Parts: sequence; C-alpha cells; structure tokens
Amino acid sequence: MKLIKKTILGAFILGLSATVALAEYPERPISMVIPYGAGGATDISARSIAAPLGEAVGKPLIMANITGAGGATGSVTIQNAKPDGYKMLFARVGSHSVNPAMKATLPYTLDDFRFVTVYEINPVACAVTPASGIKSMSDLVAKAKEGGLSYSSSGVGSLLQLAAVMVLDEFGVEDPLNTVTHIPQKGGGAAATAVLNGTVNFLCTNSSAIAGFVANGQLVPLLVTTAQPVVGFDAPTSVDLGKPALQQLVGWTGIAGPDDLPDDVAKKWGTWMQAATSNAKFREIMESRGSVIELMNPIDANAFILQQYTTFRALVDKLGMRIEG
Amino acid sequence: MSDKLIQLRLGIGAICLAAFLLLIAIPFWVTSPSNVPNIILSPIFWPNTLAIITALTGIGLVLSGLSLFSVKAPKSFNSEKNTRAFFRLSILGFIMGITILVMPSLGLVWTMMLVFSSSAFLVGTTYTKTAIICSIVLPLILYLFFAHVAGVAIPQGDYVRLP
Amino acid sequence: MSFIDNIMAGFSLVANLESFLALFVGITIGTVAGAIPGLSATMAVALTLPFTFSMTPITGILLLLGVYKGGIFGGSIPAILIKTPGTPASSATILDGYPLAEKGQAGKALGMALWASCTADLISNLALILFAGWLASFALNFGPPEFFTLILFSLTIIAGVSGESLLRGALSAMFGLLLATVGLDLIYGTQRFTFENPNMMGGLNFIAVLIGLFAIPEIIGMVWNPKADEGKSRALGNNWVTFQEYRNSFRSIVRGSFIGVFLGSIPGIGAAPSAFLSYSEARRKSKNKENFGKGELEGVAAAEAGNNGVAGATLIPLLALGVPGDVITAIILGAFMVHGLQPGPMMFLINADIIYGLFIGLIVSSVFLFFIGSIAIRGFKYVADIPRSILFPSVMVLCVYGVFAVNNNLFDVGVMFVMGWIGFFMIQYKIPAAPFLIAFILGPLLEDNFRQSMLMSGSSASILFRGPITWFFWLLTSITVFTIARAGIKTRQNDS
Repeated sequence: MKLIKKTILGAFILGLSATVALAEYPERPISMVIPYGAGGATDISARSIAAPLGEAVGKPLIMANITGAGGATGSVTIQNAKPDGYKMLFARVGSHSVNPAMKATLPYTLDDFRFVTVYEINPVACAVTPASGIKSMSDLVAKAKEGGLSYSSSGVGSLLQLAAVMVLDEFGVEDPLNTVTHIPQKGGGAAATAVLNGTVNFLCTNSSAIAGFVANGQLVPLLVTTAQPVVGFDAPTSVDLGKPALQQLVGWTGIAGPDDLPDDVAKKWGTWMQAATSNAKFREIMESRGSVIELMNPIDANAFILQQYTTFRALVDKLGMRIEG
Repeated sequence: MSDKLIQLRLGIGAICLAAFLLLIAIPFWVTSPSNVPNIILSPIFWPNTLAIITALTGIGLVLSGLSLFSVKAPKSFNSEKNTRAFFRLSILGFIMGITILVMPSLGLVWTMMLVFSSSAFLVGTTYTKTAIICSIVLPLILYLFFAHVAGVAIPQGDYVRLP
Repeated sequence: MSFIDNIMAGFSLVANLESFLALFVGITIGTVAGAIPGLSATMAVALTLPFTFSMTPITGILLLLGVYKGGIFGGSIPAILIKTPGTPASSATILDGYPLAEKGQAGKALGMALWASCTADLISNLALILFAGWLASFALNFGPPEFFTLILFSLTIIAGVSGESLLRGALSAMFGLLLATVGLDLIYGTQRFTFENPNMMGGLNFIAVLIGLFAIPEIIGMVWNPKADEGKSRALGNNWVTFQEYRNSFRSIVRGSFIGVFLGSIPGIGAAPSAFLSYSEARRKSKNKENFGKGELEGVAAAEAGNNGVAGATLIPLLALGVPGDVITAIILGAFMVHGLQPGPMMFLINADIIYGLFIGLIVSSVFLFFIGSIAIRGFKYVADIPRSILFPSVMVLCVYGVFAVNNNLFDVGVMFVMGWIGFFMIQYKIPAAPFLIAFILGPLLEDNFRQSMLMSGSSASILFRGPITWFFWLLTSITVFTIARAGIKTRQNDS
C-alpha cells in the first residue's frame, strides 16, 4: 500500500517536474550529501572529485556531510528528496549494499535510489600484526578452527564485518558467527587500532585504510580480494588462492539520486563524470590512496550494486546475520 | 522554592522516571536480539542499570530532602508578574516550534529574521531601530559566511532564493 | 643522519616565508572559525583540507595544524562571552569564564584563557617532540579494559563539578547517561529509543545537546525575566590579566597541560574530558574551592590548559603509529596520505626532515597563537558591550545557524531547542549542567569499552583487572571515591 502510494506520488512529481523545471538542468547549485564524517574514505573521495566535477557541471556543488547510523541518516535525506537532481548522494558500499543486506529495520531499500554512476573501486585486504605469528590465510583459518580468533569492524552492518565473515566462510570456516568473535568498534580508525593493540587478531577492510600500517610494517596483509595485485600489498589475490567469488568483496563510491530521477538528468551525470574522472589531479590523489578509478554508466552501476547486494544478502541469509530489531 | 522542596520534588521525579524506564520505555523501545549469549552483553543491560541507579539517586534525594529543615523561601515576584513571565515563555516555545515547522519551506535566512525580531520584542528591547536592523542584517551576514565561505548548504526554501 | 642533521634538515624545510605564512593564516582561520559556535575546529580543518592538496607537504600540514590550534583556542571566546562553547572542548571554560564575564571581567578571563592556552600548547608540543615514541608505545597498551577503568575514573570528575549538592550532580549525570543511550546498539545494531527515526539512529548530536544545554537556557531565562540584569556592568573594561594572576594559576596550568598530554596521546578520548579533568583537579587542589563555578580565574586557566594540552599530544599516536586519535587528526592523516607520506615508525627514518620540520613549526605556532589570540580578543571584546536585549536574539540566530551547519540537519536544531528547555528546568531546580555533559560524553565510551572487554574475555570480569594500568586506575578511582565520601560526611556533620 505504502509502495503504491509512493509510486503514484513519485509519478505525479515526476510529471510535474518534467514539464516545468527541466528547462535547462542545472540552473542553480547542486547540493551533494556525504553520508559519512569528515576525513573518512567517502568524504575524501567526494571532496577530491568536487573540484573537477564542479567544472564539468558548470554550477557550484555544495558538499554537506550528514552523518549517523552507518550512513543511513544522510541516505534518508536523499530518499525523501525531490527527484529534480538538485540534491544527490555520495553512496558507498556500506550504506548501499552491506546495510540493506544486513539490516531489516533500515528505513530505505536499494529500490529507493537511482545510481547515476560508480566511479571508484577500493580493493579489500585482510591483515594481522607481525606479532600474531599468522603468516598466511591457511594459518588464519587453522586458528579460526581452533577457536579464540577475533576480528574488529567499524560497527555492526559495516563492510568490515561482512568482509571478515565472507572471507572466513569462503575459506571453509564453519559457523563463523559463533566460532570467531566479532568486536565492533566505533569507526574504521578504531577498528585498525584494535588490531594494532592486540584487542583482536585480524580485520578485513579497504586497502587504503591500512596502506600506511602495511608500509610501516605494523600490519601484514594476508589477502587482497581483487584479481589484480594491489600496489604496496605483498599478499596473494583472491584468484591466486582459488577463491574468485571474493572478487565481489570490494568497496566502492558512487553517486545516487532518488529512485524517480529523470533519465535526462542521469544521462547528464554520465557525461559530467566522464569529464571529471579523466582529470589528472583527481586520479593522482585517488590512486595515491590505493583506489582504482573505474567509471560505470548508470546502467552498469545499478547492475554492479544489485549483484553485490544479492551476493551479500545470500551470505547474510545463509548464516542468519540479519539484524531484525 | 526551598532546598527541601527541591530535593523532594527531584527525588520523586527521579523515582517516577526510573519506574517509567523500567516498566515501559525499556521493554517497548529497546530491542534486543533473542540469541544474546549473556545478559551483560544484551542491549538492555546498560539502560536497565542506569534506570536502577537513577531510582537509587531519587531515593537518596528524597531522604536528604526529608532531613533538611524547611526554610520558607522569600517570594521574589508577585503572581501577576509570574503569569506574564509564563505567558512570555509560552510565546518563546511557540516561536521555537514554528521555527522548526516553517524552516524547510521558508528557508533558514527568512525564518531567522522573523525569529530575531519576534524574540527581541518579546524581551521588550528598548533599542527598536537596532533590533530591526540587526534582524535583517545578521541573518544575511551569517548566510553569506556559512554558505559562501564555509560552503554549508543552508536551506533555501521554496519562495525567495538567495544567490 | 644524526639528531643535529635532522634538525638542520627540518630547519631548511620550514625556514621559508611560505611555511610561516601558512601557519599564520591557519591560526587566524582557526581562531575565527573556533569563535563561531557550530563551526568547530573539526569543520574548519575539514574545510581547509582541499586547499592543501596543491601545497608542499610541510606547508599544507602546517596550515592544517594552525587551523586546529587556533580552533581549540578560539572556542573559548564565545564560551566566555556568550556561554556558547565554540568547540566541545571549551565547554569546561564556561563554568568559570561566563560568571567572570557576568561580573564585567571578560577581559581578564579571555586573557587568562589565552595565556593558559599558549603555555599548555608549548608544553604539549615539547612533550610531542621529546616523548613521542615512548608515549605512543604506552598508548598502544590501552585496550578496552584499560579504557574502561580510565573512563570510570574520569566519571569521578562529576563530583568536582556538582556544585552544592552531590546528589543533584549525580541526578544530572544520570540524565546525561540515559540520553546518551539513544541510537543504535554498538554490538548488535538494534534500536534503542530511536522510534524508527533515522535522525535518532546515530544518537543525539553532541554539539546540539551542548549548545542547547548552555546557551539556550540563558535566552529562556532572559525571556522569563528581561529586567534581571539591569544595571549590571558587562563591559570588558581595561582589566587585563596580570602576571601575578598568571603565576598564581601556573601550577594548575602545568597540571592541566600534563593531563592533556596524557589523555591526548591515547587515541579516542579527545579534548573535552581532558578539560573537565584538569578543571576538577584544579578545584580539588585549590584554596578557593568555594569560588569555583562562580567566577574563579584559575578555573578558566585549568580548563583551557586541559584542552590545549591535547592539541600537540594527539599528534603523538598520529606521527609515531599512524593512528588518528580523533576526527581532526584523521583529516590531517588524509593530508599526509595525499602527499604520499605514511605516518608511522618508518616515517621517522625515511622522512625525518619533515618530522623535524613539523616540530619546529609547532613550536613557532605557540608564539603565533599568542599574538593572533591577543588581536582576536581585542576584536571580539565589543561583544561584551552589546545590550542584552540585542545580544540574546543574536545568540539564538547564531546558534541555529551553527547547529544546523554541524551536520546539515534540521532535526539537530530541534534537539537544541528541546535541550534548551531541559536546561532551563535544570537551572530552576538547581541541577548543575556540567555533570550532564560529562556523562553524555563518557557514558557511551564506558558502555562500549565494557561490552568490548566482555566480548574479548567471553564475559569474564577478570579481564577488567588485567595488567598494571587497570590496577592503577582502580586504585585511583577508589581513592577518589573515598575522598569524596569523606568530604561529604564531613560537610554533613558541619551542617548539623
């Protein structure tokens, strides 16, 4: 019932805005919501693309961090925004594929958004401290089967939590939810610190988040999930280890609007992003952080996210990880 | 109000709050998964602990209140003044409520002009001209600063948009 | 390379106009931004970050550090003048700073804030330079059990800021702890008092609660009784802080600086608890205990020393381990990484020149802070001359803009208003606001670290007593609780 109402309302607004407003989009500044805090991966990615993207758009982009609840608070503001393309969202793997897969009480679903692009892919790496004595994935799995293994994450329903579970599951650890302890932390920085100070044994996170620790020899990478090796990470890839299914496990940043965003707006974003991502300085900043710039058009982006969501959802349902309350 | 009265009222209030939390708020508004291995890890453990300590604090307040001598506090204002003060407070509450309601459609800047002028006159300012000028200029300056220097997306509203 | 070589290499990096200019501009931006409620030091640093991409690493990072340091000091200006903390760290400054301003001694309070800030800043920077490696490895010993005991000890601050009745202080703290439970559960992700409202899932915004609790009740009080302050002088006057007063507070300043250095070097605590801890320690040791909270200059000094002492020390885990202790250092870490630098043990070997360059820049920054701060105080002093019936509506407008800007969320403005009424009610019932605030900050940390410890140990309480650090804090907590209890019994006996 609610859905029908929403669709009717959406269609009505769409019809209205299509006839009135869309003379020449954009005619005023566009506000871009970043659903995570300053200094995080999403924030840095968004603020780095802001300058070249603003040039391509021809109107200023106003960046607004709206943080809270693992990206949900900011995402909801776009879910409820007018679909006129003047309020868009920097969507992230956590807020738009892990959260929907894991949280039953999330106030939105993937269907509430229309993705206009995914422009950045972050490989995921698992790492331990040198002091732990764990040298390879098989050591880690052996320790997991022995019991007493623990991992940190940036919170319940984060990519970090799902990544650790998915890796353990792929490597044949049975019932990883109960045999391995999850100790959630507040934020990605705290999650890495928990490994460093010995609170937990390992974590799986975006390679950029731990690149510094790996370069300094404080952490040892065991695995990267991409098919290609990651620069600076002396670790086997998922393909090397014969677990190609883990290639689904990557972080990404994209841009989304409400689900009834008109086609021509989405198309414009496609061309703008083409120009913005070819900017040399932007590429340099992102690549120095270990990101892979990979531009997807609206159709590919939607398909990519849906596929990742389906994979995650299947795992969550298989293990009974869904948060109902 | 005398100290005795304050302690007693606060104490009873705290006990009521704790009872409300333990009996209604926590059971209904805090969800806990069914498979929690240990009670101390449950999401309701901490709120329950806090509610119990609140109740104890309340009991302490009541006891300390009872042990105090009741000193009749001098009445500082007459009742007519008091009614007026309450009237002004309710208007302020009304202004705050309206602010939240109209801000999305009217825009932050215009709402703030209204808030400034109405609250300045509510406190009976004798600087009428200054108040009017400030009520227009201050929100505009702040808008310029926040929107154009700090790059904050100040809500613009549906009617008059600022550059 | 020897130590001297490193210093020389550092000098050659820093000793150019650009670096000093960056530092100067940074501190200026920070002071102004910090002085605007809602536009906290964190936001100012985040907004400056994109500009550093095109600079050389050392210039860019000095710019950010300047903004950070200026921001932490700048926050004390509105805290003293209009009872609105510019950054959360300056909320302890309100306790004595605002009463001083009410007495017409805003100039003295601001001057003391500046002197204490600069002294603490210098001590903090020296601690960074001399003890970075040692403090960093110490900080890595802090796991959840150690945090839990440290925070439990910090909660005893509440006794120090409760004012005349410990029980009312405790009640205030309970309100704060209860309100802090709103949001998603850390371990299970389930909802606690959120009513399915996405705005509440992230918990109540700290700055909205803070400003609501301190600034708005003043406005409501003004509406309640507009003529209450007629005839009171609020002018800044010419009363600048004297050197004698600085010397009298010097002990508290140094103590506060060390508390700041200690808490700053442990990732994840931040400047606000440090300021409160420093304040309550100063009060405990002072002869004028009764005057604290009513306009005691030493209280301002202690609070400001506590929060500025953190500023240099948060760089210890950042540079020595690559671990950001708070949001600001996380942003600064981002700036390092954009320039291809990886803070951590290796950086002291590979990029020692940059590290030493930063150290030299930091020392200079304390001096710059003093001059820019003095100018800023002179500029802001006119605020004290504004008639109250104009000032308070302005504060209200400023608070709405500021609180909105923190998270671009209208809901937070509503939170601020509601907290304002709660704060007004608390004043009427003589409930102190400071315990509420401390509990609101520390409560979630206490709960999270307790539950993380329980997860680590499989629900065995013995983990809370592992190692010497936990024992140290248990001991410290019991001594403090004992002292408080004894003092409480004594006053009771004296009363009857």
